[in-house]
Amino acid sequence: MPESILKRIAAGDRNAVEDCLNSYGGLVYSIARKLLANEADAEDAVQEAFIDVWKNAGRYDPAVASEATFISMITRRRVIDKIRHSGRRISADPIEEIVQEPGDKGHKRIELSIEANEAAEAMKTLRPEQQTVLRLSIVDGMSHQEIADATGIPLGTVKTHARRGLLRVREALGLGGIIDFGNKEAAI
Amino acid sequence: MNETDREQLLDLLTRQATEGLTPAESRKLAALEGSDDDSFDLAAAALLLAEFEPTEQLPSHLRSKITADASEIVAANAGEKAPDASVVADRKTPLFAWLGWAVAAAAVLALGINLSMTRFGVTEIANNPPPAATPTPMTPAEAHDKMMAEPGMTVAKWAPAAKTGDMANVSGDVVWSDKEQKGYAMLRGLPKNNADASTYQLWIFEENQGDKTPIDGGTFNVSSDGTVVIPIDAKLAAKNPSMFAVTVEKPGGVVVSKREKVAALAKVETSVPPEA
Repeated sequence: MPESILKRIAAGDRNAVEDCLNSYGGLVYSIARKLLANEADAEDAVQEAFIDVWKNAGRYDPAVASEATFISMITRRRVIDKIRHSGRRISADPIEEIVQEPGDKGHKRIELSIEANEAAEAMKTLRPEQQTVLRLSIVDGMSHQEIADATGIPLGTVKTHARRGLLRVREALGLGGIIDFGNKEAAI
Repeated sequence: MNETDREQLLDLLTRQATEGLTPAESRKLAALEGSDDDSFDLAAAALLLAEFEPTEQLPSHLRSKITADASEIVAANAGEKAPDASVVADRKTPLFAWLGWAVAAAAVLALGINLSMTRFGVTEIANNPPPAATPTPMTPAEAHDKMMAEPGMTVAKWAPAAKTGDMANVSGDVVWSDKEQKGYAMLRGLPKNNADASTYQLWIFEENQGDKTPIDGGTFNVSSDGTVVIPIDAKLAAKNPSMFAVTVEKPGGVVVSKREKVAALAKVETSVPPEA
């Protein structure tokens, strides 16, 4: 099994930077472009995300997640920061299109991340309203309030759906975390 | 953890992973046990990958910027991996200092950047540049010295937190740039630590976070006697630091220090304004 790119970066191997950009540069840029309307904001977020990747490569644990998932997590954090800072969110596609079942992207998922397939399977087990809320917030970058406004679901219910849905996905991925929140709530 | 804290933690971790937190909420989260739980963010990232197909290519101009950013940071990773690499046996030796600056100057000249430096005879070196083909990344010690020579840096001197005990002789300095969001701590006299039992952790007290929740500046270990130079790894944006601190924590560090064992403090007394 080839040595992890992130482990090589953590060890100071500068050749691994090129490998990382070849493998994940398009992914990080695509995430930023999808969630940020402004191209300059997206480029800033990508640049900052990679600085975080270089700095935090030593924290990557292949037993917990794939590199793609780890790097996507860092990217989302930077993009969310940027959304909060700029107050600009991408103008969403029509809500009916967003909440529809996505097409079959299984092959691409396998290439990117094992957890992506597991997350997709977990998503299918969620109630339709939970799927809608998670899709709108995570894939389309909408705040809970924006989701409530767009769907007519009360804000408190949006928060509950987000929480229970994410707990279920987290559980399906075996991401126990530090605190055991129990399975009871996720199962509702 | 009581039920109220658990409920609040669950709410904040969910919101952090789905819509982000305000600075006040981030501070609230940081104060809770379990706040460094990445599992919600990882689940959200996996969901994103499941639901979305990346189709864009990284533009070449952006790739160049990212590659340039990476050079120093990844080189510093190697320094962190082996703390001894940044331990300077005798920093007062002029030859050593001169060589460090010579390497730095060669790198700078090779990049074609015109910098005005006056310390350690760099001007003289510039008149007879060595035939350096490949720029050599600076060590943390060299980068520290370079920042110390630049205008507009926030600088403070380390002092021991206690007048007795094995940390009573700690000294050194710290340099920080708000603009670049980077800095280096140079410490002398910190005792060696057993990395399996404890770690040193650096903290930044600054405007945004307040004194109750200083910013985590990264962990480090000391495995040799001498002087250690640590690149500061600020986990949040730091603005106008008023003090830096080093505490002893459990391996891996902590999110919020109980400040039970403080090794050194560096109060900022004067902050030189940046040059116009």
